[in-house]
Amino acid sequence: MAIRELKVCLLGDTGVGKSSIVCRFVQDHFDHNISPTIGASFMTKTVPCGNELHKFLIWDTAGQERFHSLAPMYYRGSAAAVIVYDITKQDSFVTLKKWVKELKEHGPDNIVMAIAGNKCDLADIREVTFKEAKEYADSIGAIAVETSAKNSINIEEVFQGISRKIPPLDPYENGEIGAMKLGRPSLQSTNRCC
Amino acid sequence: MDDGEMEDVAEGPCGLSRITLSQEENVNTNNYGNSEQISMTDCEGDKAERPIEDCQIKGEKAKLKKLCGYLHKLGMKGPLKAWKYRFFSFDEKKCHLVYYRIATDVCPLGSIDLCTATFDMKVEMEEGTFEINTPSKVFILKAVNNHAMTYWLQQLQLRRWEFCKGDTGIATGTWLSTETPVSDFDSPNANDDCEFLPPVKTPTEVVGSAIASLPAPQESLSLQNISLKHPWKELQNTVRNFCTSKPTPGNSVFHFEKPESASEEKAGKENHGLEELSKPVPKLSPSLNFARKARRLNGVTNPSHEWVSTEMGYIEKFSNPHQQIKALTRELDSQKELVKLLHRTVEAAHQEKRACSDYLNAAEEKDRLELVRHKVRQIEDLRQRVEVLEKENKDLQQTASLKDVHNTELKEHIQMLMEKNSAKQEVILKQTEQLLIQNEPEFVKANTTVTLHQLWKKIDSLMDDLEAYKTQNQFLNSEILQLTNLWRNASEKEKGLLMKCSYLEARNCQIESKYLIVLRKLQEALPYLDAEYCEVIKNLIGDALQSVTKDGPNQSPIYFNPVSEYDDYGFMIIPHYEVEHLKLLAKIQALEIRSNKLLTQDVVDKSLKTKWDNIEELAYSGELKNLIRCGIPTEHRKRVWKWLVNGRARIIPNYYAQLLKKCENSPHPATQQIELDIHRTLTNNKHFTCPTSEFIHKLRRVLLAFSWHNPTIGYCQGLNRLAAVALLVLEEEENAFYCLVDIVHNIMPADYYSHNLSGSQVDQRVFKDFLAEKLPRLTSHFQQHKIDLSLITFNWFLVVFVDSLVSDILLRVWDAFLYEGTKVMGLWNSWVIFRYALAIFKYNEEQILKFNEESDIYHYLSFFTKTICDGRKLMNIAFNEMNPFRLKILQNRRAVHKEKMKMELFELEKMKEEYTKKKDDERTELDMVFSEDEEEN
Repeated sequence: MAIRELKVCLLGDTGVGKSSIVCRFVQDHFDHNISPTIGASFMTKTVPCGNELHKFLIWDTAGQERFHSLAPMYYRGSAAAVIVYDITKQDSFVTLKKWVKELKEHGPDNIVMAIAGNKCDLADIREVTFKEAKEYADSIGAIAVETSAKNSINIEEVFQGISRKIPPLDPYENGEIGAMKLGRPSLQSTNRCC
Repeated sequence: MDDGEMEDVAEGPCGLSRITLSQEENVNTNNYGNSEQISMTDCEGDKAERPIEDCQIKGEKAKLKKLCGYLHKLGMKGPLKAWKYRFFSFDEKKCHLVYYRIATDVCPLGSIDLCTATFDMKVEMEEGTFEINTPSKVFILKAVNNHAMTYWLQQLQLRRWEFCKGDTGIATGTWLSTETPVSDFDSPNANDDCEFLPPVKTPTEVVGSAIASLPAPQESLSLQNISLKHPWKELQNTVRNFCTSKPTPGNSVFHFEKPESASEEKAGKENHGLEELSKPVPKLSPSLNFARKARRLNGVTNPSHEWVSTEMGYIEKFSNPHQQIKALTRELDSQKELVKLLHRTVEAAHQEKRACSDYLNAAEEKDRLELVRHKVRQIEDLRQRVEVLEKENKDLQQTASLKDVHNTELKEHIQMLMEKNSAKQEVILKQTEQLLIQNEPEFVKANTTVTLHQLWKKIDSLMDDLEAYKTQNQFLNSEILQLTNLWRNASEKEKGLLMKCSYLEARNCQIESKYLIVLRKLQEALPYLDAEYCEVIKNLIGDALQSVTKDGPNQSPIYFNPVSEYDDYGFMIIPHYEVEHLKLLAKIQALEIRSNKLLTQDVVDKSLKTKWDNIEELAYSGELKNLIRCGIPTEHRKRVWKWLVNGRARIIPNYYAQLLKKCENSPHPATQQIELDIHRTLTNNKHFTCPTSEFIHKLRRVLLAFSWHNPTIGYCQGLNRLAAVALLVLEEEENAFYCLVDIVHNIMPADYYSHNLSGSQVDQRVFKDFLAEKLPRLTSHFQQHKIDLSLITFNWFLVVFVDSLVSDILLRVWDAFLYEGTKVMGLWNSWVIFRYALAIFKYNEEQILKFNEESDIYHYLSFFTKTICDGRKLMNIAFNEMNPFRLKILQNRRAVHKEKMKMELFELEKMKEEYTKKKDDERTELDMVFSEDEEEN
């Protein structure tokens, strides 16, 4: 099986749980007080996808706004970006929109975007509805998932969704149709939790 | 009995002397001793557990005489607090004082561990009372008199010393050559005798093995004497005693020989003694030799003591026949007297016989009459003489009675005179008292009434007390001295053992880490191995990892030494890796750090510590700089940091308090972010992970105060880590606040933490230049694999390696960072960060060059800072190998890159603007298209 390296970066407001998602995905571990990321942190995980192995090179970034100026370093050359917001904080959804805008303007052309509404275990204090997020995601052609790093909900699915949306190396051999359409995916994630 | 003595004699010409010598001691004690001794040799060996026999066997082997005897012991527990009579015996193997109800008992009632005991005597207590204090209990014992008590105490001290010294010798002598010789303390008593209590003579009547054979003096009071605590032992002992009292010779050690045989033996021995005496000089001289030899061999205590005792034996032996001779001469004299008397009677008889024969021989009646008359005349004459004598006697009696009368008269007279005299004396006394009162009117009357006699009595008793206190003082002094010596020996020993322990542990860590490295290599090679090997290796790895997680840092055998799970500042010592397959590496890591620490702590750290202790006043100097680069010892770090911070930051009194007040009144916009980050600061430090910790609140206040102090920065992620480290070291929040201010405003270049972190970004570029200059091979390797280093190094600079380096090294870096952050050429500098960042790459250069995949390199770089364990090596690279490293070049490069970046940013902004404009245009076009589509639909 061929191993394909996929650079993925995580973006989003501070404290929404970017590092927690990565930590859950890579190590299946959750820590309430995971150190805030400064600059960036790097991790890898390999998952099978079809007849390929996808090795995710995950760049987890700092959330605070003044670190935005560093972001181009991280999303430069990324195959995908997971943009995370906190469903209990409307502000974080606003920030998410800013990120999407920046990626659209300065990011790689064919970057796959996934929108992850984290902390869905706290649905009773929710500020952002899934509908709102889903509609927005559809409008930009991104995957929309609500996740919980704490309860390990939909974390794998986010990356599986990305894997599916990545065009295969040789489209002629694999013959997948959906992968041909970049930016406007026919496959849409219907995963949701809670 | 002496060891040397035995050997010497055994080799000597007379094999019999062995018995003689072994009995010698008992000759001068008493007869019981003899009989016991003899019966003992009969049954020796078949009842080794017998206390008394034990003591006998040992007595032959050991240098010192067996210490045993009866003492009173104060029962401490239970309702009855009474003196109990116990037989005490010293067990040399364990250095225990074992006690029995009576000497013949088999099972001891208890034992006192003397190794850890101290002895005490108090004047206030009854005569002969002394204490043995063990950590768990206090034993109060009473000997028959003070002399015996002193003997006991001295012997106990001596034995404790002997035992402990022997112990030390074994433990330290074996491996440590650096060990200070123990010989200084070898003979505490020998040289102190003059200062303290002189050794007392053995009170043979109360101590020694011979006493064992005596019946316990107070056995009649057996009810009181029975140990309530040990009913079972009592029973056992009683049963044993019953058994042994049966007349089965050879069974009982204390079986008394029949009187005749005993006396026979005695006689025999006397003969031996005489033989011994009559033996010519060469027979005696070997024993003199051995005595000298023994003295040389012992050299420790007071061999003369034993020598004297053997000498005494000889004197005893000499004096015995002397007495016999005397008795015989006396008898001879009386016999002579008798002979004389007999002679006289024989003579008288002869005279009478002659008279009779004369009378019978007289031929005629006339002659016979004449003879009779002559005799009658003689008789008359004699009678007259008797009368005269009687008369004289009467006269003399009369005069005697007269004299008697006179005598009594004189006596009466004397009596009278005496009375007169005493009366006069009293008068004189009264008068002197009156005189005294007159002279000193305020003199208390009560005092004057005290007679001289009473005063004398008092003085006498005080003198007695004084004497007693003197003895006590002397004894306690000797006790203190011995205990000090013992303590010193013990601590010396402990130190040695600790050193050995840490050395061995370090070795163990190294070996274990090597093993783990091998395992790791195998793990990497796993895919290429056979299935069966795979299984084995996987199991081994599993075991190795499990021991980490299961044992936990507390119980794991690696951590029994003083080094705990957390260091002095509460940092977890073992780096925590997030990635599963790195756990082996983590363990290797921990082991290496540990072995490093163990090996340096004794030698290097101590010499540094002494240097630090000698520094009284802190001042900038080359010497201090070098010392600080090696790391400030924990106990000095706070002081030095405070001094450094206060030297630079402008401290305004009450300023911090004012800022805090401001925080209370109006929340800063950064409050939310601060609150978010506070609980996730230094997650590997116990002071910050505990939610109730005071440090959390301190950190919040410091960060809030800073956000008001510098509103342009407010709060930047990363400042929390800086403040946290400052808090851990400086403790007081105001100092930590100023430390943070110092770092942000003084040491770091401008705009490091502000709006777009431009200062930090400039430094990243500067650092890349330096890396290209110092480590060209690595730089080209990175370029080849398109590695953007600032992804890795950015946070090193921003938070000065917090969370990147192991705490031990981190603080060392900070020490130098704070010290060398001084102004040079009017510019503040943070070159220590550059030096260390370069050193970190240099330290791991070879390892990095091995990786040839982008993801592998990034992966390695994401954790490799924590694999650095050798702080000294890193420091050397940073400050020596990276030279020349000129601050001027750093400043120049900073200026150049700052300009460049400004330009780039400007162009980027321009491009952005153009781009958005273009996009907007496109969008409007698109919208138009869409609307057209919609219209079509």
